Amino acid sequence: MAEKLIELKNISKQFPGVLANSNVNLTINKGEIHAIIGENGAGKTTLMNILYGLYEPTKGEIFIDGKKAVIKSPLDAIKQGIGMVHQHFMLLPSLSVAENVVLGSEPKKKKFFMDYDKAIEITKNLAQKYGFKVDPREKIEALSVGVQQRVEILKVLYRGADILILDEPTAVLTPQETDELFNVIRKLVSDMNKTVIIITHKLQEVLAISDRVSVMRQGKLIGTLPTQQADAKILTEMMVGKEVLFHDLHREKVSGEKVLEVKDIKAKDNRGLTVLNGVSFSLRAGEILGVAGVEGNGQSELVEVLTGLRNIEDGDYFINGKKITEVNPSNMRNLGISHVPEDRLTMGLSKEASLWENLLMGLQHKKPFVVKKIHLNKKKIFERTDNLIKEYDIRAIDRYMKVKKLSGGNMQKVVIAREFSFDSPILIIAQPTRGVDVGATEFIHNQIMRKRNEGAAILLVSAELDEIMRLSDRIITIYEGSITGEFKNKEVTKQTLGLYMTGKQNKLKGSEDN
Amino acid sequence: MLKEIFNLTLLQHTIRTATPIILAALGGLLTQHTGMLNIGMEGMILLGAFFGVLGSYFFGSSLMGVLLASLVGVIIGLIFAIFVVELKSDEFIVAIAINMFASGLTVFLLRSIFGVKGAFSSPDIVPLPRVNFSFLENVNFLDKIFNNHSIFVYISWILVALIYIYLYKTPQGIWLRASGEYPEALLTAGVSAKKMKYKSSIYCGVLCGFAGAHLSLGYLTLFSENMSANRGFIAVAAIIFGKANPIMTFIAALMFGFFDALGIRLQVVGVPSQFTQMIPYIATIVALFIVTNRQLQKHKKSKGERELA
Amino acid sequence: MKKINLSYIISLALSIFVALIIGALIMLINGKSPFIGYSALFSGAFGSKYNLATTFAKTVPLVLTGLSTAISFRSGIFNIGGEGQLYLGAFAAAYIGITFTSLPFFIGIPLAIIFGALVGGLYAFLPGVLKVKYKIDEVITTIMLNTVAVLFTSFLVNYPFATTQGKMNGTEIIAQSYHLRRLVKLSTLNTSVFFMSFIAIVIYYLMEKTSIGYDFKMVGQNRMFARYGGINDKKQMLIAMVISGALCGMAGVFEVLGVHYRFLQSISPGYAWDGMLASLMAKNNPVGVVLMAIFLGALKTGSVSMENATSIPSELVMVIQAIIVLFIAGEAGFKDKFVLLNIKRKSKKAGETNA
Repeated sequence: MAEKLIELKNISKQFPGVLANSNVNLTINKGEIHAIIGENGAGKTTLMNILYGLYEPTKGEIFIDGKKAVIKSPLDAIKQGIGMVHQHFMLLPSLSVAENVVLGSEPKKKKFFMDYDKAIEITKNLAQKYGFKVDPREKIEALSVGVQQRVEILKVLYRGADILILDEPTAVLTPQETDELFNVIRKLVSDMNKTVIIITHKLQEVLAISDRVSVMRQGKLIGTLPTQQADAKILTEMMVGKEVLFHDLHREKVSGEKVLEVKDIKAKDNRGLTVLNGVSFSLRAGEILGVAGVEGNGQSELVEVLTGLRNIEDGDYFINGKKITEVNPSNMRNLGISHVPEDRLTMGLSKEASLWENLLMGLQHKKPFVVKKIHLNKKKIFERTDNLIKEYDIRAIDRYMKVKKLSGGNMQKVVIAREFSFDSPILIIAQPTRGVDVGATEFIHNQIMRKRNEGAAILLVSAELDEIMRLSDRIITIYEGSITGEFKNKEVTKQTLGLYMTGKQNKLKGSEDN
Repeated sequence: MLKEIFNLTLLQHTIRTATPIILAALGGLLTQHTGMLNIGMEGMILLGAFFGVLGSYFFGSSLMGVLLASLVGVIIGLIFAIFVVELKSDEFIVAIAINMFASGLTVFLLRSIFGVKGAFSSPDIVPLPRVNFSFLENVNFLDKIFNNHSIFVYISWILVALIYIYLYKTPQGIWLRASGEYPEALLTAGVSAKKMKYKSSIYCGVLCGFAGAHLSLGYLTLFSENMSANRGFIAVAAIIFGKANPIMTFIAALMFGFFDALGIRLQVVGVPSQFTQMIPYIATIVALFIVTNRQLQKHKKSKGERELA
Repeated sequence: MKKINLSYIISLALSIFVALIIGALIMLINGKSPFIGYSALFSGAFGSKYNLATTFAKTVPLVLTGLSTAISFRSGIFNIGGEGQLYLGAFAAAYIGITFTSLPFFIGIPLAIIFGALVGGLYAFLPGVLKVKYKIDEVITTIMLNTVAVLFTSFLVNYPFATTQGKMNGTEIIAQSYHLRRLVKLSTLNTSVFFMSFIAIVIYYLMEKTSIGYDFKMVGQNRMFARYGGINDKKQMLIAMVISGALCGMAGVFEVLGVHYRFLQSISPGYAWDGMLASLMAKNNPVGVVLMAIFLGALKTGSVSMENATSIPSELVMVIQAIIVLFIAGEAGFKDKFVLLNIKRKSKKAGETNA
């Protein structure tokens, strides 16, 4: 019945310091749409990269059509009829569609020269065959994201792929483009006898399009089941582990004054496009305001604006009633804002530096750590460092240890220890437990709650809805740069939040203070 | 006095002087397209000049000189690629090491092989052949400027055309450019970006070998200490100025050759040549300024990033 | 107290060792004995009072240019323009020395030093601004500016400031009050070694013990982190660049005031490059820079004696230096490959037991 096409047997992949795949046994059947799901870091992309020859497995074998396949490079995979469309497109922006489609296997004139006309012809014919509307001569940089993805698919089909791997294909698409893509996938499978593997973390899509679904978690394959037998609850449990039991944290009644307010903030992203479209909300002392949203909807830029790392194009920003005119990190810190950034390695730490150097940042010009404005008082600095290591239970050899050698959880504790130690009235916290183990997560949540109870005003941005719901007093949802809804924590469900996060529902803006 | 400076001989010298710069710059622009800026061409040219003389002297033929210089170029190009591509070293530091190495080794070998200091010359060194085009002899100014040059002058022009065609009209050329612009795209299409980088580095080594051989065997046959005289850095300047396009780089190299030749003539009549000699270097900084600023203005949408309303 | 990076020191020692082996091979190929060669090198550097003095004399410019590299590289801005800054600083000092001839030494000498440092610092400020404000790569601009400075001073010294005493491509001799006293007869070691030591201590203090040094380090290690933490990264990089240029300028000053007593067209045989090498070998650590500067000074001094004694050309040392630089540059890459090989080996073993 179901014909085995690809068999991955006992695949393991060890990187320095991390076991990305651990004894994975996976079978893909001919002509099916197979979804591989899991959280960020579960190992799904690594596994497919192995199948596509970008990595070699540390252990294990691959069988295609019953025969052992040695895949040491993408070229080997292509020869086996495997094609892959990556999450970040592999297109050369300055070249045309046709040139990109034939990349690597260009048609030639007189043995040496590129035959452009042939390339255009090939592209046109292929597009027609598969029903894509695409102009072979257009340059990639002029195309929309949805069309660029079509080019990627054409590229893969040109090389004769029978098996298509799509890595997070809908991450960059609008809902309409997603529907179009799904139609294409269905057509490829039903009319053209292709086999499609989709990597994704979006449950709704898995249930909509796939025939079978495999779940990965922490490098292991948890299980494979026919999509008919699956639902969101079952899949989530497989993805996340035992039912996430977060017990309630002790919450004190802290009435607070308005400490921070933004009115109609507009901002642009690094490419000059509007990324915040008139954001307004306020933050009070002794509360945690959770910002719920799918990554890429402006939360990162919002955090940057609030912490002085990004300019405000329009709108007003008030702290304790006073309007902010100069937006830079130094100023914001002086006004009482501390920031736990979403990416600790790019922004929150210097991995080559020692523990004490990382913990010092922000205080190196303040007494008593500096004497006569320039001399560092190492005694006081080390005292504080050792205290923080103890207080935050940072597992390190000593204060001189280079931070890059710490585990993810301990690195995050360093950031939190530092930012919390300033006793700032306002804390902006983004993705505090990303890449952090369960024990450290619990610890960090407790610390955040402690700060709240001590009267700090906390803005919490997180992609983990469970985290938002556990910690927040109020929750706002953000979608495409606008605040779509505001809720008191106890009064809203995960499902509702999901709808507002994906823009399917949208309360009119204007979170007037009540 | 002006006639003494600005005459046909100046243009002839421009072409002569520009040739090693053109050759090296052609090599350097290839590596530049693969994402490696090679400021070690200075050392590579120096080695080419020395081993060109060595080969010609001991084997009695300029061809052997060129072959030896090219071989050394291949080796150095390979070393550059191994350290920068495989071992992920900083390309500037590796280049500085190559320059130091060349400077030291050539002087060392000059003393230990030829037993001289400063410079080595001998009637036994066979120069590169000159090429005479009889059809040019009829037109006086054309004859004076373009005829009877050492063979690499003409080879360099042919190479400009060949490399232009290679880069923009062949699949390999597209791969070369892609390996610098977006190596992952190349890799996932089944082509090794690493291989392209190695290739470009080896080509660069060979071309710098040619440049050096032209210097020491082209007109005068001699090797003198540090005779590359910053030409490697001027080649870098030409690449930046010409934005790594073979034709634009060629024009830039000609221009710099012009100022070089002008400077020498100025010196002969007692005018300080240092200011004309400065021109390529200041021009590079200006060119960098223009090129960098234009890139900052262009905000390209690429790699499937989402745009928000 | 502080952990010294043991694995790096091993890599460094290995690089030096390999380079010395290759040097020995080159000697052998040319029919010379490496034993005789290297022992001549060593005794040439340390073997007598005169040799020792010359070694330390050669160390002076190397320490200054080395620290110049260290402070700029550490701050994340790569000043490759040391030669140019040195030349201009040297000329600036010579200018003071031949123009303000009636000043007493306790005014003239500090004036020359400060002026030389200032000129060097300003010359580095230019590419610094281009980098910080316009994002123009400072490696290329500083290399270009090297030649511009060398050409410019060459012009000055061949035309307006040319000496009347013979064909020397240099300026007049500076006034007597500017001459730094020689310490050891017949060697070039002079009181500049004390200035250098003082400057080195100041720079060490600045880099390791002050909040400014901390800011430099953070900007160089992770510019985003520094910005996030409230540091004005652009300002820090500029300050580092200016100090870096000033240090090279001062290296030039001492060559004029202490060694040649005039500015010469060829005042520096590449001191800035050697200083850079010292700093690269020491991973920009100020104490290490001093040690490596002494090492390189010894190599340079010893190589001259080696040539006199064995007729092995002193340039061999440049070849050895180049190989050391190369291996240091690849050090991190070697380590990574080593780690990957270990993983492969371990998994193969495990795979064999896991039938």
